[in-house]
Amino acid sequence: MDSLSIYAARASGLHKLNPVTKFSLTLFLLVLGLALPGMWTSYLILVLIIVPLAIWGKVLDRLTRIVLTISWPFILSVFIIQTLFWGKGTTLFEFGPFAPKLEGAIFAFTSSGRILLIMADFILFSLATRPDTLMISLKQAGLYPGMAYIIVTTLQLVPQFAAKANAILNAQRARGLETQGNILVRARALLPLVMPLVIGSLMEVEERAIAIEARAFNSKHKETSLIEIPDSQVQRIVRIGMIVAALLAIVIRILWR
Amino acid sequence: MIMAIINLQNVTYKYPLTDSPALTNINLQVNEGEFVAVIGPNGAGKSTLCYAIAGFVPHFFKGELTGIVAVAGVESHQSSLHEWVLNVGLAFQNPFNQISGAKYTVFEEIAFGLENIGVPRDEMKSRVTDAMKLTSISDLADRSPYSLSGGQQQRVALTSILVMQPKVLVLDEPTSQMDPIGTREVFGVIRKLSEKGMTVVMVEHKVEWIANFADRVLALHEGKILLAGKPGDVLTSHLLTDKGFGISRYTSVARKAKEMGLWKKDGLPVTLDEAVEGFSQGRENLAPTQK
Repeated sequence: MDSLSIYAARASGLHKLNPVTKFSLTLFLLVLGLALPGMWTSYLILVLIIVPLAIWGKVLDRLTRIVLTISWPFILSVFIIQTLFWGKGTTLFEFGPFAPKLEGAIFAFTSSGRILLIMADFILFSLATRPDTLMISLKQAGLYPGMAYIIVTTLQLVPQFAAKANAILNAQRARGLETQGNILVRARALLPLVMPLVIGSLMEVEERAIAIEARAFNSKHKETSLIEIPDSQVQRIVRIGMIVAALLAIVIRILWR
Repeated sequence: MIMAIINLQNVTYKYPLTDSPALTNINLQVNEGEFVAVIGPNGAGKSTLCYAIAGFVPHFFKGELTGIVAVAGVESHQSSLHEWVLNVGLAFQNPFNQISGAKYTVFEEIAFGLENIGVPRDEMKSRVTDAMKLTSISDLADRSPYSLSGGQQQRVALTSILVMQPKVLVLDEPTSQMDPIGTREVFGVIRKLSEKGMTVVMVEHKVEWIANFADRVLALHEGKILLAGKPGDVLTSHLLTDKGFGISRYTSVARKAKEMGLWKKDGLPVTLDEAVEGFSQGRENLAPTQK
């Protein structure tokens, strides 16, 4: 695996949108799903907004596959725990010592909706947005360049870090390090594995800092970008509209209580 | 009088929190277009010398630097690091650590430096394309930098520095971590750059290669200049073996042969070709076997 991102390149209108627009949309849908009351809200947002967006972005198949694969353990456990251990409520039926409650089922249903919404929301965003384009547009919008660099390099460097950890593991095992057995054996193996990794990484960080310094990373000039990130007046207006709508949703939530 | 493009005068440097200086009284003048190789055992101060020319000493590492370090007439004391790096390009051993990690293709990776200094997009594209042609990596443009071999990565790192059009190139053991093919690829690029007139200061252990391509060799020992001069003179000097430098095996063999009266020439060889030439000299009276 070369990088942590699940970005899927497609020739779609969704992909062509400005990354900040997509990021704002992701946050907006999140706020909407969590703020608006009702047990069907999350499902409505999923079906009426996220699925059409995924179709537009030509990533619906991948989205459904990833979301269902990741979410089913959560949903299953939420249902089991909430229905069986709800406490006082309307019993649906009885079998053996268990008496699942309606209120629990409703709660589980609402929570599952939220889980699915959050996952689908962020995974759709990741499928349709290249991480470096997001960083470039955030930088252009004023984000501290060091921050942008840290975020985007983490995506590429974590898999490399994992590969390095694996290489150290194999090297130490080749030198006779015992890594299989009871908990004591494994605990003793930790230090010879972690130390080279940590020290090696610190040295690498210094070298990389020098390398990017040599590429004028801390230059005072105004930066330019090789890749053109499209944006439009329409998108800018939509972004502002989403902020307003999100605030409205929060107000509704407060008033509903 | 041609003014030296790199001018180090009485340079002494101590890293922070250390007792003894890493460099003592270094005097070095490099003219434009020269290729100077730097050799020395571990801890001799070779990397520190590279950092001094590249401005990281003292700006990045802090510490105490006395003396003058000047490139193209400007002193490093009076410049800031982010301006200095535009004049002096630096590449070092590990190609993996020189990849920014922020870019997904080689083309964008090379453009990274130009983005930082605000070069307009069209100019960026043409500069990157030209630089990639120079280092023969045009076919790698769309690849991920992390999918490349060591030799390819090192050439990408070199290209990323070259595209910034520095006046001087400082290379700290660029082929130490390469396999033989990678080494050949990287040396090929460096040689091409030198032939085009780039001023190069390179730390390197492969003495046979230095003997063929360097104009001058600097031997560093414990932070001081032990020897400086033409490759043929420096690389065959007794002082090197006395002080624990690695020398060419051809030199060692010829030295032994000279003691035994089997090496007739005055000077010792450094490369295979020189050794063959020297040993053949005593064999003119023998019948030629095959050519």
